[in-house]
Amino acid sequence: MAFDDFTLDAHGLPAASTADTGTPRRRARPWLVRHAREIAVLLLLLLLLSPFLWLVQLAFRPAADIFEDRLLFVPTLEGFASLLQGNFLKSFGNSLLVSTLSTGLSLLIGVPAAYALTRWDFKGRRHVALWILVTRMAPPIAFTIPFFLAWQYLGLQDTVIGLAIVYLTFNLAIVIWLMQTFFEAVPASLEEAAWIDGCGVWQGFWRIALPLTAPGLAATAVLCFIFSWNDFFYALILTRTNAITAPVAIVNFLQYEGWEWTKIAASGTLVMLPVVGFTVLVRKYLVRGLTAGGLKD
Amino acid sequence: MASITLRKLHKTFDGTPIIRGVDIDIRDGEFVALVGPSGCGKSTLLRLIAGLETPDQGEISLGRHRIDDVAPRDRDVAMVFQNYALYPHMTVADNLGFGLKLRGTPRADIDRRVREAADILGLGELLQRHPRALSGGQRQRVAMGRAIVRQPQAFLFDEPLSNLDAKLRVQMRTEIRALHQRLATTTVYVTHDQVEAMTMADRIVVLKDGKVEQQGAPLELYDRPRNAFVAGFIGSPAMNLIPGRLQRDERGGGSHVLTDDGLRLPAPLLAGNAATHGTRVLYGTRPEHFSLDAARGSSAEVIVVEPTGSETHVALRLAGQQVIAAFRERVSLRPGDRVPLWPQAAQAHLFDAAGGHRLG
Repeated sequence: MAFDDFTLDAHGLPAASTADTGTPRRRARPWLVRHAREIAVLLLLLLLLSPFLWLVQLAFRPAADIFEDRLLFVPTLEGFASLLQGNFLKSFGNSLLVSTLSTGLSLLIGVPAAYALTRWDFKGRRHVALWILVTRMAPPIAFTIPFFLAWQYLGLQDTVIGLAIVYLTFNLAIVIWLMQTFFEAVPASLEEAAWIDGCGVWQGFWRIALPLTAPGLAATAVLCFIFSWNDFFYALILTRTNAITAPVAIVNFLQYEGWEWTKIAASGTLVMLPVVGFTVLVRKYLVRGLTAGGLKD
Repeated sequence: MASITLRKLHKTFDGTPIIRGVDIDIRDGEFVALVGPSGCGKSTLLRLIAGLETPDQGEISLGRHRIDDVAPRDRDVAMVFQNYALYPHMTVADNLGFGLKLRGTPRADIDRRVREAADILGLGELLQRHPRALSGGQRQRVAMGRAIVRQPQAFLFDEPLSNLDAKLRVQMRTEIRALHQRLATTTVYVTHDQVEAMTMADRIVVLKDGKVEQQGAPLELYDRPRNAFVAGFIGSPAMNLIPGRLQRDERGGGSHVLTDDGLRLPAPLLAGNAATHGTRVLYGTRPEHFSLDAARGSSAEVIVVEPTGSETHVALRLAGQQVIAAFRERVSLRPGDRVPLWPQAAQAHLFDAAGGHRLG
């Protein structure tokens, strides 16, 4: 009660002071109108997050009342526990391995390539940069048969490294194109200063250009990771038993005997976790500009 | 420290010649300014010395060694960039010590030399800051500190003061000059500001379209410009150049210039073979070499009066052309006034109107 009085007083004060300064007095607007913007944001957020929230709550529901309408239920970890028994953990590990491997390799090859394309003005540079994009120009299904046959011939089918290489070919285009714009944002005079200070081309890249593009590098890594992590199509086509990734494993819960909704929801929730975690981890790099201050603005 | 020699340098970008046969000898410990209008090739010349560009033809030597095939990092020169080019992700101390670190200098030596340089430039308090937390003048000092810490054979400055405000620019001008007197390191300084060149350099090289127009001590260029371009470029306000025809007097060997509007301007003494009667010339006179002479002066109309405090610049219309006169004494003139303007013959310059070269 005392708290209510206090807030009323606090609301009363500004109204009095505006009257003193001679500005026209405005009648206190109803609470709903004053907070309309916040309410709209909340509703929109709820709408956008609804598939996500629905999935998460499904994961914690007891298998028996999975299709109950009631919002209240006793949460259980049964769904997650049941995942421990099957092959899901192995698939989850495969996903982690494939995504990390393809992200790492894409950066290892793509970042120096992007640097060279930005700084080295050779003949036909534009053509090279454009043709790198070609793997992104057609729908993934267009490359299925070549990949399938080649991987069969090379013995890469149903292997983690095979899948990682497939994702690498797609991720390289992302890495090279994104990193080119980040490298272009680094003033060339910084590297020239480094060369005169005693750096070779490689040291200039490693000690100057790369640290300054760290935020861009983080963003690029996240995108590569998410692409590899979420891919279903190639994982379905190119794996059988050994290298099955999490998205394919989830689909395998849709069986002839029935659809295991709790497992699907629980595994779906688990699959989201690394991506959310990864993004939160590099979030500060995604927004911070490192190049501020080096040059006269 | 070492001398720098440029021999028959040529450089072309995308088919456009930027440097067209430049020869310059810079003595050990000398402060040389390269000046010229935008696009004259002065920055390219500096980048050629630094090794950031490779010459198409010609030789560059530092001391006794030819360096035009040597990588920038092995040339042992230091460069201060127009935009400072400080490494944004390093502290001031790391910026200063970066070159030494790359050369494997022991940590203790790096610290000592960084501290020495910081003391010279007054950066002691700022060593742990990042460039983004510094003012423009402080960044400029760090950029210079990065150069002096390495104790290189030569300093290269690429318009280092053009991003500073006017007051700071004058202050830094003095500081750079004092630094040069203290370290006596060979210095090449590129600027488009001829006042900077005049005040700082031992010697000025004036460039235009990739060629050397004239090189010499600042006052030599001011007093005896070799052609109309240098005459117009060195000095502020610029020299007045009035077109006319040379008239040799019948008696006494004297001469004057008859402008197209029929005005007679007194010409300096010319050797007999310097130019013939009737040659089209440019009559050059510096603003401070005009005087108000009621007896001999020609009537000129005042257009604009600009008092600077120490002197007064007046734009006038003389012989159908706008000229600038500078008076040390305070003059009370107003636009529209007519004054008797008289150029001092002994201080006048004559240039061939066609080729621009100096006569006499």
